[in-house]
Amino acid sequence: MQESVNILNLLLPFLYALSFGVYLLDFFKDFKNFDNFKRIFLFLALLIHAIYLIVRTIEFHHPPITNVFEIFTVIAFTITFSYFILELATDIRGTGLFIIVLSLLFQIISSIFIREQSFNDLFKSAYLGFHVFSALLGYAGITISAVYGFLYLRLYDELKHNKFGLVFRRLPNLEILEKLSFFSAIIGFIMLTIAVAVGMVWLPQVPALKFSYSDPKLIGTGLVWLLYGFGIVSKISGKWQGKKVVTLSIAGFLIAISSTIVTNFIYKSFHSSFTGTLQ
Amino acid sequence: MNIIGISVNHHTAPVELREALHLRQDEIKNMLIELKASYFNEGFIISTCNRTEIYGIPKNNELTYEHIENFLIEKKPVGEINSTHFHKFFSCSAVNHIFRVAAGIDSLFIGDNQILGQVKESFLIAEEQGAVGFLLKRLFDAAVRVGKRSKTETTISDGAITVSYAAVQLIEKIFSGLNKKSALVIGLGETGEIAARHLKDKGIGKLTLTNRTFEKAEKIAEELHTGIVPFSSFKESLKDYDIIISATSSSDLIITKDDLAALSKKRGGSPTILMDIAIPRDISPDARKFENIFYHDIDSLNIIVEQNIKKRKDEIPKVQAIIIEELVAFFSWFNSLEIAPTIKSLRDYFEDIRAEEVKSQINRFNETDREKLEIVTKRIINKILHHPTMELRKTADFGMDSEKTIAKIAIIRDLFGIDAKEEKT
Repeated sequence: MQESVNILNLLLPFLYALSFGVYLLDFFKDFKNFDNFKRIFLFLALLIHAIYLIVRTIEFHHPPITNVFEIFTVIAFTITFSYFILELATDIRGTGLFIIVLSLLFQIISSIFIREQSFNDLFKSAYLGFHVFSALLGYAGITISAVYGFLYLRLYDELKHNKFGLVFRRLPNLEILEKLSFFSAIIGFIMLTIAVAVGMVWLPQVPALKFSYSDPKLIGTGLVWLLYGFGIVSKISGKWQGKKVVTLSIAGFLIAISSTIVTNFIYKSFHSSFTGTLQ
Repeated sequence: MNIIGISVNHHTAPVELREALHLRQDEIKNMLIELKASYFNEGFIISTCNRTEIYGIPKNNELTYEHIENFLIEKKPVGEINSTHFHKFFSCSAVNHIFRVAAGIDSLFIGDNQILGQVKESFLIAEEQGAVGFLLKRLFDAAVRVGKRSKTETTISDGAITVSYAAVQLIEKIFSGLNKKSALVIGLGETGEIAARHLKDKGIGKLTLTNRTFEKAEKIAEELHTGIVPFSSFKESLKDYDIIISATSSSDLIITKDDLAALSKKRGGSPTILMDIAIPRDISPDARKFENIFYHDIDSLNIIVEQNIKKRKDEIPKVQAIIIEELVAFFSWFNSLEIAPTIKSLRDYFEDIRAEEVKSQINRFNETDREKLEIVTKRIINKILHHPTMELRKTADFGMDSEKTIAKIAIIRDLFGIDAKEEKT
């Protein structure tokens, strides 16, 4: 079983690279009848990734969330999974490479550095598993939202300045990009809300944790949550739209990334008591 | 295949001449009846605003291009026309030309979307008039296949290649679902009218027209089932439109910077598209400075048009490859029509000689040998004819060079006097 885990771990970056390559080729060359072909590649990568996560969980008797590199592979999976669902739901297939490249990067780093290490007993808690998975899905949502936001700004810039190049030809229209960004942000916001709610209810009850409301991770996540909440309400009420909304989404994503870096590498957070013993 | 064809098109004749030669349906029908009676076993006529072409399988070898040219000029007399205005085609070049027309690569606008439909219509009219037999029916099927394959296997028809359509393409790059959008078209000259029609075709939710001459706006609005606002007051309702296309012949700006500032403010964050397809411009270029306004003038639309034309031209080799494939397939089929009867005639020819010789010599053999004689002579004939038969069949099966095939068939028929014999019988 350990050998299967290792083989799948090595195989995944290649599968993501292959999917990325196919999407990249299609973006630049626009081959006719290529759409289903590239989707099959992505589905295969997702399937193998799901098998890897299951096999790894069975082999090591815990979900793969006990260290940064395990979390990276889950992030790669959730981003791809969210994109795949979005592609199926909207049938917009020209933007995959901008999303898959993120999964590829996360998976490469994970595959190189992932090791099974000793971990805190808290990881056996179902609440924690739920908290982490919903948070990761939330981050996957806001990541995809930010990518679509970035694509929106690129196309907006081309349209404003009469540049009708590859971005103009291959991306869907501005309204669709805005919708995709907004839809992803809503999913991200809902999952993040669940993660925060579970965390706020469950974490203070864990004696082993030095829970604090002034924890930098908590403040950062709270800020991101408020920002997205504000953006979503503004959009739904019709006050904000277009460039403003997608800029807010990108800002939210950058704050989320900064908050993660700060709490993991600069300030001590009670969240570090999960990963701190493992790094 | 002895199909003959003439064509007056945008390569050979100016627009005035092409327009003058354009044939109505009733004219085509009458001409087909006469052509069939005098010149053709089968025939058809294609007539669009950019080309008038006549094709047919001649009744006899005396028919020349001049006969058909004169026939057309007589039926549709136009001044200043002469033989240099005609392209002439025969056999393979005629079929090749029909395929090029159906694929849209011979059109004025390369990859023209309408031409395939026009070709189909031409064949249907000819069929109705009883002017199409099995040869042209097969040719028609092949031409339609070429047209369809060109559209599905290449991007020869992709992208806008007129300014009006480029404006619509650009709008679709900003808004999805035009059925929920409202548009105003200012100025209903040719460009404005075409833009209005494109928007209507794309299913725009609400279309409003305005024009200095109100009657013209009324006429087009009635035809397109759209709203109208008086030209004097259209500015009051600018904020109500997601898309504004302006195409007047005014020498001054119609929508000024102040109008734009007011529009931007009233629209809030909602994006507005302004398409200025007039020369000189109708809308102040300051429109670019407003964040929620997407402004494009004729220069920016021309960039799209030129890009798309170049892309279409780049696709021509792929279409030509499709045409070659279909030409080979068509002439293989056609050659097989000639080959099968030739093989049969050749075998009949040898069999007749054999039977005659056996009959004249049969009395020299006893009863037992007579049967052997039959078998041996038949075997000899079969062996002699095996190689030429196989060669001819191979040519038909593998679609070899049609000119060569025709030459082979002609030599065989000539050497063995097959044609003369068939004529006699």
